[in-house]
Amino acid sequence: MADCTNRTVYEIFQSMEEGPAAAPSAATAQAWLDHHSRSLGFFMEGKFIRPAERQTLSLADSTGGVLCSTACAEDGDVSQCASSAATGYKSWSSLACSQRSKALLRLVSVLGLHGQCLSELCALCEASCSPSALVRLLQYYSSWAQLRDTLIPGWTSLGVVVVVSSDDCSLYSLMLKVLPALAMGNSVIVVPGRSSAPPALLLAQLFTAAGLPAGALNVLTGSDVTLGAKVSQNPNVSYIAYCGNKQDGLTLCKASAGMGVPVSVSPCIGALCPFIVFESADIDSAVDEVIQVAFKKKKEVHWVLCVQESVSDSVVARLKLRLAGMKCVALSSEADRGLVDAAVQEAQQQGATLVQSCSASPSGAQYPPTVLCGAAPSSPYVVSPPPGPLLPLLTFRSNAEAVVLGNHSPHGYAASIWTEDLTLALETAKSLSVGSVWVNSSSVSDPCLPVSGHKDSGTCTDGGQEGLYQFLRPSFSSPLPRSSPVSLEYSKFGTEPSQPVIPDSPVGASLPQSYLQFVGGKASKSASGCSVAVQAPGGGSVLALCPDGGHKDVRNAVEAAIKVQPGWMKKSPSARAQSLYSLAKGLESKKKEVSASFCTQLGVSGDEADKEVELSIARLNVWAAYCDKVQGGSLPMPQSGAALSFPEALGVVGIVLPDKHPLLSMVTVLGATVATGNAVIMVPSQRFPLPALAFIQVLQSSDLPAGLVNIIPGNRDQLTAALANHSVIRAIWYWGSAEGCQYLQYTCTSPLKTLRLFCQKDGEGSDAGTDWAQSQPSLLEDCWRNAVQWKSVWIPTA
Amino acid sequence: MSGRNPGTDLDLEWLSKVRVNTQAVLKRAQHIQGLKVPKKQWQTAWLLKAVSCIDLTTLAGDDTPSNVHRLCVKAIQPVRYDLLKKMDMHDKGLTTAAVCVYPARVADAVKTLKAANSSLPVASVATGFPAGQTLLQTRLQEVHMAVRDGATEIDIVINRTLALTGQWEAMYNEIRQFREACGDAHMKTILATGDLGTFTNIYKASMVAMMAGSDFIKTSTGKETVNATYPVAIVMLRAIRDYFLRTGHKVGFKPAGGIRTAQESLVWLNLIKDELGNDWLHPHLFRLGASSLLADIERQIYHYVTGQYAAYHELPMA
Repeated sequence: MADCTNRTVYEIFQSMEEGPAAAPSAATAQAWLDHHSRSLGFFMEGKFIRPAERQTLSLADSTGGVLCSTACAEDGDVSQCASSAATGYKSWSSLACSQRSKALLRLVSVLGLHGQCLSELCALCEASCSPSALVRLLQYYSSWAQLRDTLIPGWTSLGVVVVVSSDDCSLYSLMLKVLPALAMGNSVIVVPGRSSAPPALLLAQLFTAAGLPAGALNVLTGSDVTLGAKVSQNPNVSYIAYCGNKQDGLTLCKASAGMGVPVSVSPCIGALCPFIVFESADIDSAVDEVIQVAFKKKKEVHWVLCVQESVSDSVVARLKLRLAGMKCVALSSEADRGLVDAAVQEAQQQGATLVQSCSASPSGAQYPPTVLCGAAPSSPYVVSPPPGPLLPLLTFRSNAEAVVLGNHSPHGYAASIWTEDLTLALETAKSLSVGSVWVNSSSVSDPCLPVSGHKDSGTCTDGGQEGLYQFLRPSFSSPLPRSSPVSLEYSKFGTEPSQPVIPDSPVGASLPQSYLQFVGGKASKSASGCSVAVQAPGGGSVLALCPDGGHKDVRNAVEAAIKVQPGWMKKSPSARAQSLYSLAKGLESKKKEVSASFCTQLGVSGDEADKEVELSIARLNVWAAYCDKVQGGSLPMPQSGAALSFPEALGVVGIVLPDKHPLLSMVTVLGATVATGNAVIMVPSQRFPLPALAFIQVLQSSDLPAGLVNIIPGNRDQLTAALANHSVIRAIWYWGSAEGCQYLQYTCTSPLKTLRLFCQKDGEGSDAGTDWAQSQPSLLEDCWRNAVQWKSVWIPTA
Repeated sequence: MSGRNPGTDLDLEWLSKVRVNTQAVLKRAQHIQGLKVPKKQWQTAWLLKAVSCIDLTTLAGDDTPSNVHRLCVKAIQPVRYDLLKKMDMHDKGLTTAAVCVYPARVADAVKTLKAANSSLPVASVATGFPAGQTLLQTRLQEVHMAVRDGATEIDIVINRTLALTGQWEAMYNEIRQFREACGDAHMKTILATGDLGTFTNIYKASMVAMMAGSDFIKTSTGKETVNATYPVAIVMLRAIRDYFLRTGHKVGFKPAGGIRTAQESLVWLNLIKDELGNDWLHPHLFRLGASSLLADIERQIYHYVTGQYAAYHELPMA
């Protein structure tokens, strides 16, 4: 191809080759980089700051030449940036909703002027984001900024939000976090990955030109994602949102463990997504689409082509024809070539056959698009996909098997399904455990689609109104208390043996009452057979003995829960509501006993106890009413078609209950999780377990499926560790010690669990923490929104 | 020319399995239109390829021997000789693929071409063009007579009544008879896709036309309200691919109607290349039915050679 510029017209006339691709112009972006001497600094206080003598990272363009360098922030820069964001938060959050909305809209017109520069810069840095996609994001979120107080009353901004992305994350994914955070009135510190750093800096500059107050949007660059944790040490930071590859996300979780800042992770890069082609599909269109998405130079997800056996031959035949004319795809490095070669060789040794556009040149950082036919779910190149334009193809027999195949992976990001059969499409979409389902299409993203990565693919919801709540807190609540990480031996957490109970009661004293745990629908002793003593308020005497639950009890509870949870989720919302109403009735009939245990436990008057029980009955009734009100709907996509959102249960949720309002808090979280279709394993407050244990008799007489609600008392740390180490448990809500919070955030990364961590201090005044007795709607909304994950289904039509 | 498509038995089960997702096809069409077209000498070479695939057409009520004569002479020398010479293309035998006229004008065209010592094929529309609403007997007779007058390519129109009411077997039988009537003349089957309603119907009609032995399938007569569009072409090209995969026979494709600019012709070439590959980028498998397209292509070539934009009168008219 070296001499291709000398081709004569006649030669081309005969060969019909396409000629060299003209290099896209990048003059504007280059001029912007030159203006910054190709050495970029940080953006804070509304301006560029380029401190001297910082370490730098150089960013290469696609040809390997140095494009520019970014600076690595030092401690001084970090604190300057955090205080800039704190100042920015004051001025940004004090604006009216309409003013914030206007500022976001003004950026649209600023982009009209400088969109060229931005898109060129994105192209140079390979951090793709089309200006039109950005404009759509801005318009969508500016309308939410306008309507925050109207449509989301009772909620307020968090404060300073840190948005972190990994090196390979696109600017679009980054802005999908930044813009809703800004729209809800937070100030943002962006810690971009390497490739998105220059466009993020440019955008910050454009935002300021559009009238964003100084400090509302800051950009800080460093050598890796742990800079995100460093920034978060600042007491002004109240939330960390991460998008990018999974590995860096886990690093960030671990690095920020114990700070008391919630972290959400959206591993949008590197997920494994099934591309399911049924025999009822428009096969040509499916083949065209898979070729378009699977062989991109920079692909964010790894597709696996799953084809119904009856049509696999015709799919392969079309792939052969269509691949024939395709050119080699550039790899990101020479080193990747080695990985691709090794993977292909291994695949061939295992009997895979290749469909290739041309045979691979012996070396060089490029590879022809290749389909690996004869893949199996256990093939190494399916389990851990290598880089490069490789597409494994596996076959399935029936519709049901397609779902099993699609779900049998730790990933739950997205799936593409192809069929002309509407019923089949909807059934499959409902059964797949992924955040996005694209019917007869793929890789469609829009900010109006609420998407929660299922399983290992995320711990928060992005997009739609549902995605805004991660950047809000109920107005009545106070910001979470901050803490500092302590040095903690994670492997030892929760292993300290409980105080054994020995017979030493003085002669004549009545024996303390003995309580049971509730696992799999049965009241029983703990698996260990041991008990722990429950002290009377103020200490001293032993009030009661309760089972000392451990990891075996948690395991048994999970086994029971996972059996009944899918059936519970499938029940009609009104059937779930009836069960909860009858649970409330059951509590009413056992009012006396439960109230008595409350009195004994907390040493309060009978009136006070009765009031707590009354409130609890009322709360269960409210949750029953909520069952058929938690609903998805159809979404306003700009393209024509039907976009649907569905709230889905998380699965099995582990809850370590708070000390405060031991009965009311328990029924509140129980109602929230069960009403939305989850199964729950609850650990009662270690100090005040008796009301929860008394509640077991109510559960026993209820018609909830056995195993849906489990109550395991015992040593809190020991049970926390047990919950943390069970992979089936998808979420943990924890009220407990700072160490416990730190332990969970550090440990619950593989597989990812959705965490809600609340640090409560022993002996805390009764006014601290959540007031469970209040009737603000946002209290319950906060609960149920955290108990569901969203799936969006996109069915485009002509 | 490689072997002609002999056709196959009518396979109704194959037809019944056809599924076309409209939005996916439309999206694909948009993608194709967004592809980069070649630049510089590549563009010029591609445009010359487009010229070599043109069925230079006049199908009007006021056609007379004199404008058919002009058309034929232009077809033999579609691009100004001096322009071709500058690109060293003057001695490569570049002509359009054929001229296409009404049956009554076939004799005129044949006469002109013979006088000019050209072997350029003359194509004739037939079978009650454009509506096809005449009796089978008349339509067959029309084919016979056009062939007798010297047409070596016949563009037949299908019976839309049969296609719209799903009488595929009857349509298959009709086309079979046309094919027999054509004899050695190549048969291009016009589907009149603007009349067929759905993409699925277009796919099925394409398939039946190929099973019945068409050498080409052609989008439209140029007389319907909607003519050659990219989505329709994608559906037809997929049918051609499907037929090739099952039978090994390559059937040609001819979009016609509404193709007027050089830019559009490049998109068409891109589409064929992407869907079917380079094999189909030859006059024996690809034709562009057009009349005013050639003038625009010639202007583009003029610009490539001279760096100037030509006025229409600087280039010889057809």
